[in-house]
This record gives sequence, C-alpha cells and structure tokens, in this order.
Amino acid sequence: MTKNEFESVVRDHQRMVYSIACNFFHNDAIAEEVAQDVFLQLFEQHRTIQLGAHCVAWLRRSTVHRCIDAMRRSSFRQEMQVDCMPDIASEVPETDLLLQEGLRRLIASLPEKPRTVLILRYGEDMDVEEIGRTLQMPVRTVWSHLQRGTAMIREKATRYLKEKVLEGDRR
Amino acid sequence: MSQFERDLREALRHREPPSGFADKVLARSCESVTRHTARPWLAVAAALVLVMGGGIFVQQQRQHAEDEKAKEQLMVALRITGSKLRNVQARLSTIQQRAVERQSNP
Repeated sequence: MTKNEFESVVRDHQRMVYSIACNFFHNDAIAEEVAQDVFLQLFEQHRTIQLGAHCVAWLRRSTVHRCIDAMRRSSFRQEMQVDCMPDIASEVPETDLLLQEGLRRLIASLPEKPRTVLILRYGEDMDVEEIGRTLQMPVRTVWSHLQRGTAMIREKATRYLKEKVLEGDRR
Repeated sequence: MSQFERDLREALRHREPPSGFADKVLARSCESVTRHTARPWLAVAAALVLVMGGGIFVQQQRQHAEDEKAKEQLMVALRITGSKLRNVQARLSTIQQRAVERQSNP
C-alpha cells in the first residue's frame, strides 16, 4: 500500500472505524483517539496489508480489539448489570432520535462481548460467521452473545414500555 | 426483520467523524515516518556516546591504577630507606660507644 493508497483508505473508511469506536464507547473523544490509533497501526503495517476486503476486515478487527484494550486499560468501565443500566424512561420521549440515543447508551453499557457482537451485527451488517472470524470466536458463541445482548436491551426496553403504560393508566 | 432489529440498526448506523479527522491521521502518520527515520541516527549517536564514554572511563581507571602502583612503590622505597638509615645509625652509635669505652679503659 502506497502513501496515496493509505490516504484513500483513511478517507474511505474513516466513518466505519470511527462509528465502531463511537458505538462501543458512546464517547466522541475516546472514539476519535481509538480510530486515529487504528489508522496509525495500519500505516505502520501497510506493507503486509492488501487493499480491498482484506483491509476492511483488518480495520474492523483492529478497531474492535483496540476498543476492548482501551476499555480494559481505563479504570472507568461502562459495563453494568441490567438493573443498573441507564434509565431511558426518564429521558426518552416518543421521538426517534432520542430513542436511538437511548439505545446507543444501552448498547455502550453492555458487557464487552455482547456489545461488540451487536455492533458488528447491526452497525456493520455482518453475518454471524463473519463476526466469528473477526473475533476468532465459534459461531455458537457469537449467537449466544447476540441473544444475550439483545435480551438485555429488550428487558430494559420492556421495563420502559411497562412504566409508560402504567403512567398512562394513572393519568 | 423485527422493528426492534430495525431500531438497533438505525441506532448503530455509521456517523461522520469530527471534521479534519483524516487530515489529523495523515499528519500523525507523517510524524511517525519522521520519528522512524530519525531513529537509526539516534541509535548511532547513542552508541557513539556510549563507546566514547566507556573509553574515557577505562582510560581513567587505568591511569588511577598506575598512580596507585607508583604510590605503593614509593612507599616501599621510603620504608626500605628508613630501615637502612636506622641500621646505619645503630652501627654508628655502637662504634661511637666502643670508642668511648676504649678511651676510658686504655
């Protein structure tokens, strides 16, 4: 990969790398730092990385691993139990934008593996086999993390809906 | 696909990075190139400083050892000279004593 090719890779894939990191942390500053580090790592290893699908797969894998490393290194852990998850009920009215914001916060508060699997599945539109290859994880384990993650989010969302219904009944 | 999955997909859709993101990455990659090219020179300079410093240290140690040896030899020579002088002095005083005895008992 030449310098010009590296530049075009950065411009073409900056949204993808930044979005994975941003969805992982739900924090723009950390996401930017992680995304920059991923591209610098790509620059350092540009001789061994081929353009195209190989490069995209490498970028996804490196971003995910860097996110996990950064999370483990920092003393601040966003991982929470279902009961401690941020309460979207108090902040999310009917508008889609706020619902999406609530969902992003919930995803960023999941344990690292379900979180990563959900981001790759719904953010990157990857199938379970691809996710397994990226995370070096058996397909069954990917399924299990996917189900666990969605169940945790559903539980919170259901609780939110019940509260809304109860609030409506009281009125 | 369920509504829930559609919502997840929508929530996790790609977003634009902050403006100037790509330029920052490219600037950092240029810095990294400069750092990498500067490294061999730094290593050579560090090696030279180490070799020169080591040479000076060895030379100083050698000089110090030679000084110590010379000092030791001087001390030995002084000790020998001192003992010889004491012997000569003792002999002289014996001769002098005998001469005095001979004069008093002719």
